[in-house]
This record gives sequence, structure tokens and C-alpha cells, in this order.
Amino acid sequence: MGFPHPPHPKETVLLSQYFGDPEARSHKGWVKRGGYEALAQALKMQAGEVVEVVKESGLRGRGGAGFPTGLKWSFMPKEKKKPHYLCVNADESEPGTFKDREIMRWTPHALLEGTAIAAHAIQAEIAYIYIRGEFTEPWTIMEKALAEANAAGVFGKIRIVLHRGAGAYICGEETALMNSIEGKRGNPRIKPPFPAAAGLFGMPTTINNVETLAAVPHILKRGATWYKGLCLSNPKSTGTKLFSVCGHVQRPGNYEVTMGFPLKDLLYELSGGMRSGRTLKACIPGGSSVPILSREETERTLLDYEGVVAQGSMLGSGGVIVFDDSADMVYQIMRLARFYAHESCAQCTQCREGTAWTTKILERILAGQGKTQDLDLLLDLSENMTGKTICVLSDSCAAPVVSGIKKFKNEFEDYIAGKRKPVMVA
Amino acid sequence: MTMTTEEYRAVFTDKVLGELQEILSRYPNKQAALLPALWLVQRERGWISDRNMVEVAEVLGVTPAYVKGVVTFYTMYHQHPVGDNFVQVCTTSPCNICGAESVVKALLEQTGAKDPGATSPDGRWTIVEVECLGACGFATPVLVNDDFIENVTPERVPEIVKKYR
Amino acid sequence: MADGLINLTIDGVPVSVPPGTLVIEAAKQAGVLVPHYCYHPGLAVAGVCRMCLVEVEKAPKLQIACATTVTEGMVVKTQAVQAKDARQSVLEFLLINHPLDCPICDQAGECELQDFVFQEGRAGTRYAEYAKRFNPVEDFGPDVLYVPNRCILCTRCVRFMEDVAQEPVLNVSERGDRAFIGIHPEARLDHPWAGNVVDLCPVGSLLSKDFLHKARAWELDKTASICTGCSQGCNVTLDTRDEVVVRVRPRPNLEVNRYFICDHGRMNYRWINRGDRVEAPLVRRDGELHATDWDEAFARVLGILRGASGKAVALVSPGASSEALSLARRLFSAFEWTGAFQVVMGEEAPLAGVPNLALRAERAPNAKGAEQLGYTRDYAAALQAAASAAVVLVLDDPDCAVKTEGALIYAGTTLPPEAAARAADVVLPIANVAEEDGTFVNRDGRAQRYYQAKPAPGMARPAAWVLGELAAALGVAEAV
Repeated sequence: MGFPHPPHPKETVLLSQYFGDPEARSHKGWVKRGGYEALAQALKMQAGEVVEVVKESGLRGRGGAGFPTGLKWSFMPKEKKKPHYLCVNADESEPGTFKDREIMRWTPHALLEGTAIAAHAIQAEIAYIYIRGEFTEPWTIMEKALAEANAAGVFGKIRIVLHRGAGAYICGEETALMNSIEGKRGNPRIKPPFPAAAGLFGMPTTINNVETLAAVPHILKRGATWYKGLCLSNPKSTGTKLFSVCGHVQRPGNYEVTMGFPLKDLLYELSGGMRSGRTLKACIPGGSSVPILSREETERTLLDYEGVVAQGSMLGSGGVIVFDDSADMVYQIMRLARFYAHESCAQCTQCREGTAWTTKILERILAGQGKTQDLDLLLDLSENMTGKTICVLSDSCAAPVVSGIKKFKNEFEDYIAGKRKPVMVA
Repeated sequence: MTMTTEEYRAVFTDKVLGELQEILSRYPNKQAALLPALWLVQRERGWISDRNMVEVAEVLGVTPAYVKGVVTFYTMYHQHPVGDNFVQVCTTSPCNICGAESVVKALLEQTGAKDPGATSPDGRWTIVEVECLGACGFATPVLVNDDFIENVTPERVPEIVKKYR
Repeated sequence: MADGLINLTIDGVPVSVPPGTLVIEAAKQAGVLVPHYCYHPGLAVAGVCRMCLVEVEKAPKLQIACATTVTEGMVVKTQAVQAKDARQSVLEFLLINHPLDCPICDQAGECELQDFVFQEGRAGTRYAEYAKRFNPVEDFGPDVLYVPNRCILCTRCVRFMEDVAQEPVLNVSERGDRAFIGIHPEARLDHPWAGNVVDLCPVGSLLSKDFLHKARAWELDKTASICTGCSQGCNVTLDTRDEVVVRVRPRPNLEVNRYFICDHGRMNYRWINRGDRVEAPLVRRDGELHATDWDEAFARVLGILRGASGKAVALVSPGASSEALSLARRLFSAFEWTGAFQVVMGEEAPLAGVPNLALRAERAPNAKGAEQLGYTRDYAAALQAAASAAVVLVLDDPDCAVKTEGALIYAGTTLPPEAAARAADVVLPIANVAEEDGTFVNRDGRAQRYYQAKPAPGMARPAAWVLGELAAALGVAEAV
């Protein structure tokens, strides 16, 4: 069992309503809770109509990019000349993020229903749900739910297939995900061609995140206008978002709030605030690939796509990693760089070599052998790793490094000047 | 490269072959069944040998070199035998700041595996540090084979070791 | 776009190219070589090395020239500061693990990493402190060695084997900076066209064992030639050092062999350097062959030809030039002439990914040329005719087991002690393919020229010259 915190009054409980409710996992239980009505409704609509509803709702991709979902669906060919595919990205591997896992293990049918509606909207006869290999419990639960739903015949002509990953963060990148399903190394592809033109097996394809699709049945059922109304700040960011709060808080877990919700309240109220005697030092709001926010920036941030950008970071996947004053920022940034170096697919020179070099420099600083010019070197390497590669993994390595050096420079300088004892061996 | 006089025992026979056939029906070409096929091999044999890769290649109509390129890309496929209990501990930053490294240390000591990646002398344990397991709010998550255990602290390690010993 | 071409500007130079052209190709028209590694016109685009980053006006980020298609009015700046900095950084990243092996690396002098670092790289690396990654050299197969430390993971070799040879025996193994080119332990790189990966490798990572440490690139003279291995007629470059052929490499020809040659053609050049050559004309005197000069040799042959009539038979090698073959017929204008050749046959080995390209069963370069000039393949019949012929000319086949009542003239490169040609009345030493200019006609009827790469030994001369002098003396042709 996970962390079954009761919903906080300030949460807007929509996707997480049945987290912790084992009965919701079964087909019977899901139908009892109003499930599969939205799908039945959608199947009676034209594909294009479904697309319009979702477009109108303002739903944006919850995997990290925040691309308008309805717009993405509309890129698929209207006239069907070839097989269309839907891929569901359940590869959740962004450090700090653990929301898709909860959706799958508590409300598997929510995902299946959203998948089927999306498949209908883009005229796909088959949808692959790519679940990362380490998600053994969600896999088992999804398998069972899929079997029950198939037995109940809810999907019509749509076929849903589960596909298991095998340990590669990069397979969460949409084109790498497609390559992985095709039985290849999970290398991202150069674009163009774009997936909607030539994607999985060369056919028109749409890739959507788990949380995005879980919202779709609600939108169909209660209408786009209702979903659009769930907005506390910028009208371009609508609906609710599951924020995965982790690290140095009293109550880590997934909290569902309306877009535009203050990050301050998420941390100090919903998550129970800092540990005893500790103060907030830093926060990464959107999974490790976005810039680190200082305490002041964190306390000013409104949680929607535009609000986080205004503070110099990004909403990303909504994986909120909280560091209190006990955290060694240099060490943690090194650990993140090491993560990216481990996960690099090795195609692009800057990423393959740069993530490893960045890690080595940081390890050397932590071993007490840093030099003053190392910080400028790290910043220069990070710039060379940004905006020049097939995918953004190398940019993601650069983000915490650049923001970390900028905002926590004294911690780096302490190691370099020998004011702080080395914590690693060279 | 070893020359062995032992005959190779194929993985894809009888029931397992049947499972593969079903898997093949899910994709428009055979190559796409590669990752699922490799999972079957690992399930049956505990790891994937070079000879297994030749068999998979033959069954799916690709080359052994191709299969090897795929196997070495994905970290969950074992290319050599591991302990009966293959233990994965996340130590990426969100879990790292919640004490993940001390969980690894406790496991290495109490299982006798001593070093990450090494197998304990009794062959029962291999402990590895892995990257984010997608359960950051339930630090520190530990996978023992397919069992996903949440909220592991050094204090809980003895009970886990006892359970799987 | 009046004539269907796209107009764009590259580094200020206006170019017009067909739609669908890649910027990196269009740049060639502007005289601009965009630095690159993974791109190759004979392979599918990969876009992984990131070396060809250029600035394209109105694009928010730098673009890779190898994967960007031209659009009307596009303005490309390869020398923009941002682009140069980005390329410089790619080179720096490549060099952090790439060892400073130049002094012992075969590729030095023809290495694209050296070239672009010299042109655009930093003066010094900032990665000065760590041990570089080390992996031992691997033997991939019959001729190819893989040096993982030098590999820049451009994946040209993998793509060649997968798409062009269509035998995916190479892969990329592992991930991140642990990645290397792998081969399955039970496989070897023994495809008949595998040697091309050595040419494709931009650095000294894939090496030819045959060429290992044999010569330095700057010591080599390069001459355009045609491969003599079969009737495909692949265009090659003969690399010579001190007048010895040390390496054969493909020369691009989009109509014939694109960018490739097979291993049979690549490896079979040692015969060009053989030392056991006929170096002087020989004439039979008192029952034995004696060395002499061209004047006496010609005089003897002319005497034979003027004093004979009836049948003449020319038994020729299908590796002789069309010029020589033509003269070997005209020489006998006053005779009833039969000409024939026989071709060694072998197994065909196509390069699957290229239409109409294969190691051909006919292992000779000019069988078609011979046919065009009236030579037949009915060697047995020719041998029979030769038995009662007045004059027999054997052109470069020392083992031709001809018996004749008439005179036997042998024009050839070698004359081993047990050779049947030792029965000749006159032996005329000739040049081989690397020692003359000439023409071969390939199986598709394409006439192709080859050029002299080294001097012929001793007094040997091109067969066309020898036969031309004789024909001129007889008045049946002009001197060559």
C-alpha cells in the first residue's frame, strides 16, 4: 500500500477521487462509480466532435511539455488512409514524478477509458500503453483491468495492448517510445517527420500521457466549459493537476489542485510543511529537468504553465522536489547529472559526452579538487548542451546545473575553497 | 566466446512458444515483439545469454547483433546470472535526500553482497542502485525481483532481508 | 522557381537546387563544405553527430544541415558565430575521450576529426585531468579492427551494414558515454562488402588489417583506376607509396559503384606489385630464349608476320585494355583471324542495398570490351584453330596451354619457369593495369578509363604501344 493521505480540503479532487479505494480497480466497481459512460457517449460522437470538445476544454499534456491536447489530436489526418496509432506514455521516469503510477494502480479503468476515447478521436484502431518495466504492481493491475474491460466489451473496435518497457528513462520521449515499441533501441528520432505524419511503424500516431488521458472522460461527461472553468490564474491553463510532492516535506504524496494554485500553499499546507526545525531552501517544481527555484521564487509561484515560467522554471510533469536547509545542493545536482549521464541514449555528441563530463566535474568538486574556473566551465558546457540535440535530455541535464550554480553559488564555492569537507573520493 | 559441448535448450517451445505467438499477434511485424520476447527469456532463464540472443534473433527474423544492441540498451535485462533476489534501490535525488544511500549500505551489509552489482557468496542476493523508480513520495522504494516495496528505511531492512532470505 | 528549382542563399552565395535537396548538399554548390561526420550521401540520414549545425534565418534554433531540406528564400549562414561555437563545442566533446593517437593512428593525414579540429576546433581542451576511457582493440573479422577509444559513434558503419549491405552484424551497444560499436560474439564482419566500413569511418577507429601501419596518408600518391577484380567496373583509387601499390579504395561513381567496392577488389592488388616480371624482350636463338632489345624483338616479330599467311589466332586475357585488344586484331589484318578469351568465374556477391552492384561472376574487367572487338568465348575452338595456325599471339596468359605448328608470340607481364608460354618464339614484356593508361568496358557496356600509377619495370611497355608499333610497321595502323 502507498501513502493514503486523506484529501485536503484545498484539493480539487477529480482524478484522485478513488486513490486508496481498491473497489475502483474492478470493472464492476468502476461502472458503479459512473465509469465507461463517457466512453459510450464518445463512441456515439464523430471523431472530430470529440477532438473539438477536448480542444475547447483547454486540456494540455500532463507529461511535461504542456502541449494543447485537442490541438495535438487535430494534427492526425482527418481522412483515414492508413492505420492510425495511439501510444500512451506510462513510462513515468522523471525524478520527482509519481502520479501516473497512482492513476494506474488505483483507477486503471480511468486510463483505459480515456485511452479508448482518445483512440476514437484520432481514428486509431489500436492503442499501445507503454508501461515502464519497473512498474510491476501497476502492470499487474492494468492487465487485470484490461482483461475485465475486454470481457465486458466496452471498447468496440478499439484494441488496447500493454507493452512493457525495460529500464530506460529516454523511452519517455515520444519518438523514443515509438522506437521502443517497434523493438529497437530507445533512440529519439529527428523531427520532421512528426508522429502525426509518420510515427509508430511509419503510420500517423499520437502520443499522450497517462494523466492527460485520465482527464478525458471527465471532460466528455461534464463538458468543456466546466473543465475550462477550473482555473485559478491564467486562462490558458485549465483543469486540475496531480502534483507529486516529495523530498523534505512532512506528508509527501500526490495532491490534486486546480491550475494556478499557489505552490506555497501546496508545500506549507497540503504537504504539511517542512520537517521539524527545517526551512525551505530550494524546490524543483516540474520534475528534475526544469530549473531549480529558490525559496523566494518558490513562495511566489502560481502552479500553472505560465505561472511557473514567470518565476524562471517550468511546470513540466509537476514532480515537486523539496529541499530543506539540510540538503547539499552540490551533491544533489551531481546526483541529477549522474542520472542524465546514465540515461543518455548516446546518439548526440553533446549529450553523450557532456552529461558524463558535467558529472565528473561535479564529483571532482565534491572530492575537494574543484577549481574556480570549474563553475564557468560548467556553465559553458551547459550552454553547449542546450538547444543543439535531437531531444532535450542534455538540456535537462543543464537546467539544474545552471540554476544551481546561479542560485546556490556559495555552496559550490565552499567546496572549491576548501571551506566544506569533501564528501566524495576522487 | 565459449565453445560448449552442452546442447542448447531452446526457450521458445511448447507453452512459452504459445505465449510468444500470442504476443506476435499484437504487432504488425515480428521485430516489435523483441522486448516482450526478451522478457520471456529472462523470466524463464533468469538472464539473457548470447546464445539466447541467437535464438530470439532466429525466431523474430533479425540478427543476433541487432538483438544484442537492444539488450545492452535496456538496463533491466541481465546479461549475466544474478542472485536469486535481484534488488533495485533508487538513489536519485528525491530519494537521495530521504536517505536512500543508507538503505543501500544496510542492504549490502546485511545480505553479504558487499558491493553494488556483486552477488552474495550464497548466491541469494544482488543489490544494485538504480535511477528514479517513480515512487519518490514513498522514499525509498526497493524492488525485490517483482515485489515493489515502498517507504524503506535502514530500520526496515532487517525485516525485508529476513522475508526474502 | 521558374524551372522547378528552389533558390536559396548559403553564406551569401545564391544557389538553385531541386526540391528535396538537403542543405548540406546544396552547400556544395556554393563551394561550402559543412563539417560533418555521421552524414554520408550513400547512407540514410542519422543526424546524431551534431557537427553540421548551421544558422538558418528565422529558425529559432541552429539546424543540422544534413537533415534540413531547402526552402525557397532560405538564408543559411554556416559561419555565424553561434554555429561556429556550437561546432567547436562538438569537437571539444568528441576529444574528451578520443585519445591523442595521431602519431600511431593510420587515419592521420586523412582524418576528418583532425581536419575539422584544425579548421574549427579549440586550441586546447579544457578536459585535462581525467583518465580517458580505455577499451582494448577488437578484431571484428577478416580484415577489420575496431579501436573503441577512437570511435566517435557516428554510426556510419552500423548503417552501412544494416541498410546497404543488409546484413546487420554491427550494433551500438550500451548507452551514454559507455556506448561502443558491438558485434555479436558469434558473428564476424565477413560480408563480401564489409571493407567499406573502414573507408566510411571518419576517424581511425575502424582499420584495415591489410593496411595497418603500412604507410602514412601523406606519403601516398593517388591515381584513378578501374578495379580488375570482375566485370562490374568499380571505379577505384590506387594509393601508391614509392611506386608500390599499398591500398585500393573506391572512387565515387553514382552510375557504377556509388561509393563502394567489394573486398575481393579491395584485397586483390598484391599481384600488381609482383617482382617476377618479364623485364626485357626475349627472342629464341639456338633453341633458347635470350634477352634482347625492342628493335631486335620487333624485327623478329615482323619477320614472322611478313613471312606467314593463313590463319592467325589471338588468345587474350580479358584483363587486357580495349586498345591492346583492338590492335591484337588489326595486327593480323592480312590473316584469317580468330580471337578468343576465357574468363575465370566465381560466385556473385551483390551489395543488396544498391541496384545493379555486385561482385560479378566474371572475374575480369574487360570481357565485354573483348566481345565488342570480336573476340569469342569459344576458347576450345580457338585452341584447335591455333594448332594449325601460322601465327599465334598469346596476350598475358602464361598458362595458356596452346600448341601450334606456327609461330608463337607471347606478350605478357610474367613468365614463370614452368609456364607454357616458354615455348614462344618471341616474348614481349608488357605493363600491367597500374603501369599504363587504358580503357575497360564493363558488363553494362560502359567504357571507363584507367591511368598509370607507377612505372612499368625494366623495359616493359604498355601492350597497346607494343602492338601499335608492330601494326604501324606493317602499315595496318598508326602508331599509338
